[in-house]
Amino acid sequence: MNCLEFRRVALAEPRRLEAEAARHAEQCDACKEFLVRALEDEARLARALRVRAPEGLRARLLDRTAAARRSRGILALAASLLAAVAIALVLAWPRNDPLALAGIDFVVFEEAQAILEAKPADPGELRRVAAQLGVALPAQLGELRYIGPCPFQGSTGQHAVVKTAFGKATLMLLPDRPLASRAVASAHGLEAVVVPAAGGSVAIISGSSRSLEHIEMLLKSS
Amino acid sequence: MLGSRQAAFEAAVGDCLEDLYRYAYWLCRDRWQAEDLAQETVLRAWRGWPGLREHRAVKGWLFTILYREFARGTGRRRLHVVPDDELHIEPQDHADPALAIDVDRALRALGEESRHALLMQVLGGFSCAEIASALGASEGAVMTRLTRARQALRRTLQPDAGREAKEG
Repeated sequence: MNCLEFRRVALAEPRRLEAEAARHAEQCDACKEFLVRALEDEARLARALRVRAPEGLRARLLDRTAAARRSRGILALAASLLAAVAIALVLAWPRNDPLALAGIDFVVFEEAQAILEAKPADPGELRRVAAQLGVALPAQLGELRYIGPCPFQGSTGQHAVVKTAFGKATLMLLPDRPLASRAVASAHGLEAVVVPAAGGSVAIISGSSRSLEHIEMLLKSS
Repeated sequence: MLGSRQAAFEAAVGDCLEDLYRYAYWLCRDRWQAEDLAQETVLRAWRGWPGLREHRAVKGWLFTILYREFARGTGRRRLHVVPDDELHIEPQDHADPALAIDVDRALRALGEESRHALLMQVLGGFSCAEIASALGASEGAVMTRLTRARQALRRTLQPDAGREAKEG
């Protein structure tokens, strides 16, 4: 190592001289003196940079960090609770049952055509299917405006349009669609309830929830 | 669990906080901003603590976080750094205010990168390789910056020294 290289190294890291540089300083008086002065300068610089830290700095920095952590913890807890409530709401929210939804689709998209193309219907057939399902169709249901068979999801049911005191409603007697529990759906401004019956189910579709409740109650009490 | 993590964190960073503050002070040249910057650094360090593999290297890690926070703060103009042409030494903060004024003037005359490298080495005790890693520069470039920075400081603090060094 020559003097120029030594001085470059000594100015770059005066406190961490490598063995080769230290050997050079021992052999070269000028560089030894240069190093002594560099270390003196370094000590002065370090002294000047040792600005007084404010009183209680350590406690403040660590306490504020702990406080921020706690508030973040509370925020995280609140966010978790909010997420849990949202999930519960989503789970508890009544979901559209496919069968009930298919009933609504039938009323919206196919009922009018079915009525238009209907041949003279046999009220006896409606009563027979109702009996097969174990339900009665009491007169309090309302005025039967239409009766006819309806193709529904690959099978045939009996289709009736009833005018109740609360508005029009459609009944679909579905002998081939057994159901474990009551199902609901809501779409196109209509609501549908499908109730289980012996060997099948009955779908009630209406734009009026009161009409729906009225028919469901009558069917259950029959 | 959290308590032991907190205790380990405080034990590791506690001894570095005063030097961290000093580094922030000489970057911002304002004691209030320096404390805010040190605070933000400690908060970020706490968040990153679980991911730190080498806990012995905590001081370098803290200085690096602080340097990045400083760069981010000045970039967004969130940090108001005292302009270089403004004298901003408060005597009560320094054991030797006259020396501090001279050093402050000398540091301001350095380029920003040289100043950072010098502060990291003198206050943090880092090697050229460690500073290079923190600043994203090559070790050779850091050596050059430090050499030039010390030469410039010598010229400012001891006007005769520069001439002597050249003559030597």
